[in-house]
Amino acid sequence: YKPPPSECNPALDDPTPDYMNLLGMIFSMCGLMLKLKWCAWVAVYCSFISFANSRSSEDTKQMMSSFMLSISAVVMSYLQNPQPMTPPW
Amino acid sequence: AMKAFHAFCVVLLIFGSVSEAKFDDFEDEEDIVEYDDNDFAEFEDVTEDSVTESPQRVITTEDDEDETTVELEGQDENQEGDFEDADTQEGDTESEPYDDEEFEGYEDKPDTSSSKNKDPITIVDVPAHLQNSWESYYLEILMVTGLLAYIMNYIIGKNKNSRLAQAWFNTHRELLESNFTLVGDDGTNKEATSTGKLNQENEHIYNLWCSGRVCCEGMLIQLRFLKRQDLLNVLARMMRPVSDQVQIKVTMNDEDMDTYVFAVGTRKALVRLQKEMQDLSEFCSDKPKSGAKYGLPDSLAILSEMGEVTEGMMDTKMVHFLTHYADKIESVHFSDQFSGPKIMQEEGQPLKLPDTKRTLLFTFNVPGSGNTYPKDMEALLPLMNMVIYSIDKAKKFRLNREGKQKADKNRARVEENFLKLTHVQRQEAAQSRREEKKRAEKERIMNEEDPEKQRRLEEAALRREQKKLEKKQMKMKQIKVKAM
Repeated sequence: YKPPPSECNPALDDPTPDYMNLLGMIFSMCGLMLKLKWCAWVAVYCSFISFANSRSSEDTKQMMSSFMLSISAVVMSYLQNPQPMTPPW
Repeated sequence: AMKAFHAFCVVLLIFGSVSEAKFDDFEDEEDIVEYDDNDFAEFEDVTEDSVTESPQRVITTEDDEDETTVELEGQDENQEGDFEDADTQEGDTESEPYDDEEFEGYEDKPDTSSSKNKDPITIVDVPAHLQNSWESYYLEILMVTGLLAYIMNYIIGKNKNSRLAQAWFNTHRELLESNFTLVGDDGTNKEATSTGKLNQENEHIYNLWCSGRVCCEGMLIQLRFLKRQDLLNVLARMMRPVSDQVQIKVTMNDEDMDTYVFAVGTRKALVRLQKEMQDLSEFCSDKPKSGAKYGLPDSLAILSEMGEVTEGMMDTKMVHFLTHYADKIESVHFSDQFSGPKIMQEEGQPLKLPDTKRTLLFTFNVPGSGNTYPKDMEALLPLMNMVIYSIDKAKKFRLNREGKQKADKNRARVEENFLKLTHVQRQEAAQSRREEKKRAEKERIMNEEDPEKQRRLEEAALRREQKKLEKKQMKMKQIKVKAM
C-alpha cells in the first residue's frame, strides 16, 4: 500500500526554503543593480541556507539558478570594483 | 594627485634617511643622493601637516576608519605606482625600485632622524582602498570563512542525523518486522514493496511506512530530527533547547475501532492540539484534566470525549507505560474523527465536512533534548511496544450501550452544527448548479441542427418546467393546509 503523500503540508510546515530563495534572488538583484558587494554576499548566504533547508521533493533547478545568480552577483560586483568591501555601517 | 604627492614625500624622507648608510644603492639617483638632512627644509612649504608617526610603524586596522598605516613592504608597490603619477606630472627622474630588505634593519633609524628635524613632516596614512595587501580584504575573507563554516556544519549535521536515523531503525527493525509484513514502502513502485529501509524525505525528516497487520491499515513513522544541517537553526537552538521527535500515525480499519476521541500528553501539548486539531476542538470541549486520578504523573493531562473512554483507556498496563516513560511522551491521540489540523479557508466554511479516518497518533520526544547520541534511540524501543499494545487495545475496546449513544449524539450534533453554518452556502451552491444545468440544456437545444429535434427538445424542456411549477404549487398548498 502506498504511503499517503502530504500534498499541501510541506509548504505549510516550513516556508523557510522558499523565503530564502526569494530573498536570495532579491539581494542578488540589488547587488547587481546597485553594485553593493555586501548585498551579493548576503545573497550567497541566503542561497546556501535555502539549499540546506530544502525538501527532497523540491526542484534542484530552482536551487541551482538562485545559487548561480548570487555567485554571478558577487563576481560582477568585484569585476566592476576590485576594491575590498567596505562595511555598510 | 595630492595623495600621490604626499606619498612621494614620505618615500623621499625614507630615502634621505637611508642614504646616509647605504650610499651605494643610489648611485644612479643623483637627485636622491644629494638629499640629506638639511634639504628637508625644502619640504617646509610643501607639507602643511605635521609628522605624527614614523612610516615604518605598523598599526593594525581600526574598525571605524578607512585609512590604515601601512607596512613598509606593502608601501613599496604602491609607491611605484605613485611614482608614475608623480613622474608624469612633475617630471622627476625615474624612480628606482628599492629592496624590501634594505628597510628591515631600519626600524629605529627613521625615528631618530625625523626627531632631528626642525619641522615636523606629515606622514599621511594611505587609505585602505589604495593598499594592495591581503589584509584590506578582511571582510571578504570573513565572508568566505563564514561560508566554509556553514558548509562544514551542513556536512556534519547531515551525517549526524543520518546516523541517528539509522540507529533508530536498527533498534526497532526487529520489532517492526515481527509485527508488520510490509516495512518501508516508499511509494515509488505501483505495488507495495517492502524495501526494509527508511525513506529520507529531507536532511532532517525520515519516513517509514509499515503495513500488513491485522487491525490496522498501516502505520507511518516519521523521524523529525532537528535541523542540524542548517547553521542558523543550530545557533537558534542554543537559545532554547528543542528535542528530536518521533511521530507515529496508525491508521485503523473502520471496523476495528469504536467511536471515541481521546488524548493524553503534556499539558502544553494538549492545549496546542486542542486549538489546532479539528476533532479535538469539536468533541473535547473541556480543558485538559490532570491525570492524577488514574495514577499518572502531574506532567501529563487528559483530554477526553467522555469519562467512560478515559476509564476504559487507562488500564494498568497503559498507566504503567505512561508513568515510566512520561518524560519521553509528548502526546498520544486516539480518534475516530481524525481529519488533521483545522483548515483555514478564505471563502468561509468548506462545503463538506472533511474526511475522517480512524487514527492513533503518538508523538515522542527523543531523550537528550538536542544533544542526542545514537545509543539514545534504544530508549525509545519500549515506546514502540506501547504503540503496538495500543493498537491491540483500540481493537478490543468497545463502548457500552450508553457510551455509544452519547458518542452518536455527539457526532450528530457536530454534523448538525456544521450543516447549519453552511446552509446558506450550500443553497447558493445548489442554485448555481441548477442554473448551470439549464444553461447547458439550452445550449444543447441551440446547437441541435435538426429543426425537428430542436422543437421536440424545447417542448420537453417546457413540459419539465411546468411540472416543477405544479409541484411547487402543490407543496405550498399542502403547507397551507397543515398550517390551518
